[in-house]
Amino acid sequence: MDTMNTPVTEPIYAQPSASVDDHSRVPGNSGIWVGIFCVLVEFFLLFIVYFVAKAHHPEAFETGPDKLVTLAGVIITLLLLTSGYCMVKAVESIRKDAATKAFRWVILAFILGCGYPLVKYFEIQWNMAHGVDTKAGIFYTVYYYLTLNHLVHVFWGLLGLGWVAVRTHRGIYTAKDYSGLEAAAVYWHTTDVIWLAIFPFFYILR
Amino acid sequence: MGHAEKIWLLLIGLTLAGAWFAETGNPGWPLTFIVAGLIGFKGRMVIDHYMEMTRANARIRHVLYTFNTIIPLLVIFSHGWGDLFRRLTTLN
Repeated sequence: MDTMNTPVTEPIYAQPSASVDDHSRVPGNSGIWVGIFCVLVEFFLLFIVYFVAKAHHPEAFETGPDKLVTLAGVIITLLLLTSGYCMVKAVESIRKDAATKAFRWVILAFILGCGYPLVKYFEIQWNMAHGVDTKAGIFYTVYYYLTLNHLVHVFWGLLGLGWVAVRTHRGIYTAKDYSGLEAAAVYWHTTDVIWLAIFPFFYILR
Repeated sequence: MGHAEKIWLLLIGLTLAGAWFAETGNPGWPLTFIVAGLIGFKGRMVIDHYMEMTRANARIRHVLYTFNTIIPLLVIFSHGWGDLFRRLTTLN
């Protein structure tokens, strides 16, 4: 971690991280923002599908949440927000050159993030046992389509967290260059922002 | 308690409060406004304080702010003007 490994040479595309006081800085790197903008456009279109379906089938969307487990949605939200907080602390730590601390925060973020697919698994098991499948109605079709799509993006985020955990452990990130770690963090926070809309759409709004 | 901890607690508190309101409140305008407000406010908290967008490139910040503003507006629009939305999205 801090002292156990010799830092590996950064790829040529990596740039030293700009000062956090530089108001024109791009957090992480440009590449991750291309990906994030694509994700935002994708989910914006999926949200339009949700609103169109809701406008055409208001009764289904008014009663739909009653058959879902609100607790599962709440736990997923708490896990994502807490995991996101851990990534904030990881970035804070690496800015102080505390790589060991940063590594522990990333690992904690990863473990909490893994709770999401686990809760989702049990939620879907419960749904299936109670007849809430993709053929149960338009509300549930849109619910599965949107939430499973989000889950796929969470998997990408978890892969990213795993990757930066390894690199943090190897001492690659420093207070002067932590763009990779920050890129994973901003992507992870984007999945938070999207989930904060999905959660009330299906579990709360009637 | 640090800044990140305060934001985290606020987000957790708002999530629990929103879930409680959903379980006890009735569907209608109050719930719609609360949900739209929570989506916008919590999203803004994550964007500003977790993603540190207040100190980042303005174009990136504006894209995120736009996304985070349109979604709550669509929640309100779809509740209040559902018929209009249905007509606009019907193929004849």
